[in-house]
Amino acid sequence: MDPTVSMYISQGMHGIAYGMILFLIASGLNIIFGMMGILNMAHAAFFMLAGYFCYQIVGVTGSFWLGLIFAPLLTAGLGVLMERIFLRRASAAGHFGELILTMGIASVIVALIKKIWGTESLPLHVPEILQGMVNVAGVSYPVYRLFVIGLALVVLAFMMLLLYRTRLGKIVRAAVSDRDMVNALGININLIFMFVFGVGTWMAGLAGVAIAPILTVFPGLADQVGMDAFIVVVTGGFGSLAGAFIVSIVFGLLSSYGVQFVSQFAPVLMVVFMAIVLAFRPNGLFGVKDSK
Amino acid sequence: MMNKKINIILWLVLIVILAFIPKLFGIYYTNMVITFAIFSVYALSLNMLLGYTGLLSFGHAMFFGMGGYGTALALKHIDGIGVFPAIGIGAMAAIGLALILSPLVVRVSGTAFAMLHLAFGQLLYVLALKMYKITGGEDGIGNFPVPGLFTESLKTSPEHLYYLVIIILGVCTWLMWFFTKTPFGQIQVGIRDNAKRIDYLGYKVPQTKAVVYTLSALFAGVAGSLYGLFHNLVSADGSLGIGMSFAPIVSTMIGGVGSFFGPILGVAIFQGIDELILRYTESTELVMGVILIFVVMFLPKGVMGLINTLKLKWKSRSTGKAEMEKAS
Repeated sequence: MDPTVSMYISQGMHGIAYGMILFLIASGLNIIFGMMGILNMAHAAFFMLAGYFCYQIVGVTGSFWLGLIFAPLLTAGLGVLMERIFLRRASAAGHFGELILTMGIASVIVALIKKIWGTESLPLHVPEILQGMVNVAGVSYPVYRLFVIGLALVVLAFMMLLLYRTRLGKIVRAAVSDRDMVNALGININLIFMFVFGVGTWMAGLAGVAIAPILTVFPGLADQVGMDAFIVVVTGGFGSLAGAFIVSIVFGLLSSYGVQFVSQFAPVLMVVFMAIVLAFRPNGLFGVKDSK
Repeated sequence: MMNKKINIILWLVLIVILAFIPKLFGIYYTNMVITFAIFSVYALSLNMLLGYTGLLSFGHAMFFGMGGYGTALALKHIDGIGVFPAIGIGAMAAIGLALILSPLVVRVSGTAFAMLHLAFGQLLYVLALKMYKITGGEDGIGNFPVPGLFTESLKTSPEHLYYLVIIILGVCTWLMWFFTKTPFGQIQVGIRDNAKRIDYLGYKVPQTKAVVYTLSALFAGVAGSLYGLFHNLVSADGSLGIGMSFAPIVSTMIGGVGSFFGPILGVAIFQGIDELILRYTESTELVMGVILIFVVMFLPKGVMGLINTLKLKWKSRSTGKAEMEKAS
């Protein structure tokens, strides 16, 4: 095949892999926002924390698979703790207060990470089976990125099933649209919140582990990828999973082709895209809920 | 009447103290007061948005930085420019940015507003780093000439710099205070509390927001411009970074959102803490995060709120006592 065409295709696949990871983070953020009306600024910090957990687990046990399973679970546990200990008791401060609270938690997490693991970037090696390249239709492609895309798709399918095919999912969707009413119907909304928060941070954690071998683990990771995820949520529309999905993929492609063609100004592309979308649709592409 | 007289006397005393600080305390504390004044105005400009209009911005540093870069570039490239026109150019740069952004941002509020500013702030930060031919990249613009008020450069006469900064910032503070008392300033509070009703009453909500936004940018720009003059350096990390956006939010939260003097008190506390932190530990982030969490959890109205509650309690106790004495 023509090398330029194959370059385009492989760049496109890179973009989709990154977009998938963005979607894993953004969808958790989005569901939490839909239910509680707060944007969890600590979400990106949890995402990064999972990368460090995985690094530590791999360092101790030598198995990436254990890290892939347990690092997100640990992160989710911390997320649930944060929701129980801090967020639930801060409602007196209002939405801004809660937003700023999550910001405070994020900066504590980042500071602790710097204290424990230092500031240099730590490499994370994937097992042999995921290394190397495969040939797909004449284009050689790193196995690990395919694995990331597959993983994200599996999680997505699982989430969709959970949200749209179970009773629990029904309750969660109902709580997104009117939490007081669900509470009045005798459903323990606090428990649902805790569960959703846990699942959201678990997905962020999974994304953190998935991206760690690609970008290595370093304290700026939360800023770099987290910012993109926030932009995805804002552009796609608060509370809209479909919007988050489409915008994630678009952003992934923008960033990978952007690096190719206008390398220095790749981050600018996303913000410009966001500005254009918001200029015409202030609530985001698919935003229905008024962002409070 | 009595109260008014006492107030005037207190203000006079304050002005006299401010006037003699460089003579009495020496350069270290003078510089501390300059930093304090700059950050007070910066936090006040943020509070115009956050406390009075209910708009939280996570990217206020872009106006601060615009002011700084505008002034620094003007001083570097225009020969023989005075210090006031340079500050004016900085302020104009901030206003220009606000005018470009305002059609977009006045249409959103709440979290979207905050996140939009986070994104734009980051965008500007990245641009400042990448366009190193203009902005000097990571090094920033340093060592630019600073003309003096009269003949001497401000670099060699810190006292003149002190008076310049204090007077400009004093005027800015007074203007912002005056602004909250005008009918227009009251509409602003109305928008915060119930935008729909203000709309029904026939006031133009987006336009009002745009005006407030631009004014807020102006004051932030002036603060940033003076900050650049004071340090003789404007850099992406020092003036545009995300830390610079969060610092005024933290001080406003500590001091008390919504009360006019809360942010000033907050800046004083913030600076005191900062001074202590730098003496004992290096992880400013950690301590600031813990303070933020603490303030939101236990002092949702800030220190100003705490003072007000204590005052109320004390008053009710003393009136209670008086009534009991009367009854007996």
